[in-house]
Amino acid sequence: MTSQPQDLRGGDRAQYGVCAFLALVGVLVIMDAARLQDVATSNDPIGPKPVPILLGALLLLVAALYAVDVARGGHGQAEAGEDIDPTSPVDWRTVLLLIAAFVVNIVLIDRLGWVISGALLFWGSAYALGSRHHVRNLVIAAGLSLATFYGFAIGLGVNLPAGVLQGIL
Amino acid sequence: MDNLTNLLNGFGDVLTPMNLLLALLGVTIGTAVGVLPGIGPAMTVALLLPITYGLEPTQAFIMFAGIFYGGMYGGSTTSILLNTPGESSSVVTAIEGNKMARAGRAAQALATAAIGSFVAGTIGTVLLVLVAPQVVKFAISLGAPDYFAIMLLAFAGATAVLGSSRIRGFAALLLGLVIGLVGIDRVTGQERLTFGVPQLADGIDVVVVAVGIFAVGEALWVAAHLRRRAAEVIPVGRPWMGRSDWRRSWKPWLRGTAFGFPFGALPAGGAEIPTFLSYATEKKLSKHPEEFGRGAIEGVAGPEAANNASAAGTLVPMLALGLPTNATAAVMLAAFTSYGIQPGPLLFERESSLVWALIASLFIGNLLLLLLNLPLAPAWARLLQIPRPYLYAGILFFASMGAYAVNSQPLDLLLLLVLGLIGFGMRRFGLPVLPLIIGVILGPIAERQARMSLQLSGGDLSGLVGGPVSYVIYAVIVLLIGWPLLRRYVVRQDRERSVVG
Amino acid sequence: MTILVAYVPTPQGEAALRAGVHESRLRREKLLVVNTSRGDAYADPRLAQEHDLETVRRDLTELGVDFDVRQLIGGRDAADEITDLAAAEQVSLIVIGLRHRTPVGKLLLGSAAQHILLDAPCPVLAVKAT
Repeated sequence: MTSQPQDLRGGDRAQYGVCAFLALVGVLVIMDAARLQDVATSNDPIGPKPVPILLGALLLLVAALYAVDVARGGHGQAEAGEDIDPTSPVDWRTVLLLIAAFVVNIVLIDRLGWVISGALLFWGSAYALGSRHHVRNLVIAAGLSLATFYGFAIGLGVNLPAGVLQGIL
Repeated sequence: MDNLTNLLNGFGDVLTPMNLLLALLGVTIGTAVGVLPGIGPAMTVALLLPITYGLEPTQAFIMFAGIFYGGMYGGSTTSILLNTPGESSSVVTAIEGNKMARAGRAAQALATAAIGSFVAGTIGTVLLVLVAPQVVKFAISLGAPDYFAIMLLAFAGATAVLGSSRIRGFAALLLGLVIGLVGIDRVTGQERLTFGVPQLADGIDVVVVAVGIFAVGEALWVAAHLRRRAAEVIPVGRPWMGRSDWRRSWKPWLRGTAFGFPFGALPAGGAEIPTFLSYATEKKLSKHPEEFGRGAIEGVAGPEAANNASAAGTLVPMLALGLPTNATAAVMLAAFTSYGIQPGPLLFERESSLVWALIASLFIGNLLLLLLNLPLAPAWARLLQIPRPYLYAGILFFASMGAYAVNSQPLDLLLLLVLGLIGFGMRRFGLPVLPLIIGVILGPIAERQARMSLQLSGGDLSGLVGGPVSYVIYAVIVLLIGWPLLRRYVVRQDRERSVVG
Repeated sequence: MTILVAYVPTPQGEAALRAGVHESRLRREKLLVVNTSRGDAYADPRLAQEHDLETVRRDLTELGVDFDVRQLIGGRDAADEITDLAAAEQVSLIVIGLRHRTPVGKLLLGSAAQHILLDAPCPVLAVKAT
């Protein structure tokens, strides 16, 4: 169909990372389950341990089978879409900027309130995605966060913090 | 008939000015978000779900029904107006619909899609009213082992049929099951996978998972590969149809509905198969087969109806059994659980007025959709002029808003980010997303049913299989999983034979 | 030396094209017709569709003008594309179409025309739709 995306050819190796991740999760689950107390009552013959241990074991098995599949040359189809240009390499700068904007919101939302931190999130994301109308974006961001605050938080009762602006809004 | 009374009561609940307003709001927002390309109905519902949190359950579901159908209709509008559609169930509509639009018949394409969706949605909801109580009656007779078997069928269906490779689907399912494991074990009160974080004791909210994997994951993935490409904009007037258009559309509407509803109700049926089937059928039965590929109205009418009927169909197992058959139904199930409502066959008994109000609001939402979208189609088309940076920034904005609104915990936002990164990774490496969501939602339920079955059998493992229904289901599961392996073996035999002979 | 017309499928763009043809004949210079879009949005009314460009090519051929038609979608603002192109291709005149803006419009939205006027490396001819 389309030309083989560069990512996928090199990504055959990167898939081992997925296998490692799966195996790691499996180990974590089993370790966590091991510290559970084996409480078996007549009401509940097997207790809370078997399912996590089973899942952990399955994860390890799948990680192994997956690795075999990768070694044989199998690869997953990276998701395509309207907006995806599959032949270009991953634009890490954009992704990291987006994550940064997201983290800023996480840190500030309770202290400064949704109106401010949500606006920062929107502005930061728009900036990360390449929009260069900085002032216009700030206006839109503030408008959106105010509108959603008044509309959803006050209007429909959704939980959004007022933060620093408590009492002003 | 008892159910008719229930339904009429449901209408009574819905037809108040306030509730109608909420329905209208739901339909409008649902369509607006559904129009935006790259945002399918599942993501639309997931993003808009938290808006309903401040409302009473009845009102929330009324708004929700509007968002559900609205999101679907928005997607069809886009697939007609743009060169390429937003998600797979609209692919077929785009084939003929876009050609019609380019030939200057956008108004007719939109009209047949809107009216067809209305017809299919209404008939589908009527079928829902008739079929669901029967399924409930059957379901009540099922025991815990049978339920467990059904859950396993849902797992097998999600991994075996979908996705590029079953090992990846299975990996996604396992990840989902692990996420569902986080929290306090109901029976023994012990904490699992919480790693000492007290906020995780209640588990990870399904909505956070859905929004993280779908919305944030998608946004991050697109951001990593943003393509600059402006599609053609097709001028749109008010949708309407001429007499011959009506004549050519009405039978495809009905046939499409007949295709869509059963497939929607089956696990792993989905909406893609019935839309393709409808298209193929309409092409064969059409009196104007030469028009197919250049803008035949039957090619829009049938698949659109199939699409909507399939959506109504997914509600049957969802409401009657608590079993989601596609991503949208999975998110809706999350909505139920977030209100503390336990989906399953007892839902009709315990929350009768709520369920019937939901069904009534499906009818109303459908009607509002038709009335709204015929005059508003040009406005929706203008939404397509929003630049992508604003779209995806908006997705992240609303996703964060929603995730925070669940519990007022910044931790949920952190989880959202982590899940978004997982969603990003899954898209990068081609792991299908649906099994993960199904794992998160059905995992805890499956475990509960398994432990109940073992309780009944006193710890004997054979207690997991009981009753004729579970035998049938296990047979189906074996078939589902075994079929591709069997086929490969048979093909290899044939090839060996042909080489030798 | 070339004449650069910033083309948009609107009355203003058509006016700019006509003025460009006129200037091209007057100065006996080649005509370069450029349509640009950031490509950010799914639907961009300022992006010329294929049939628009076909019509432009046909009309210019009929008029016997020496021309080139290009469409640039590069994620950059129209003003930057035009001015950079003017510098690279030794353009002697840029022709743009002007839209009437309300005072609020002038405040909130950027003006590509203003940017081109200020940053262009050569004279700029701004025409209104007749």
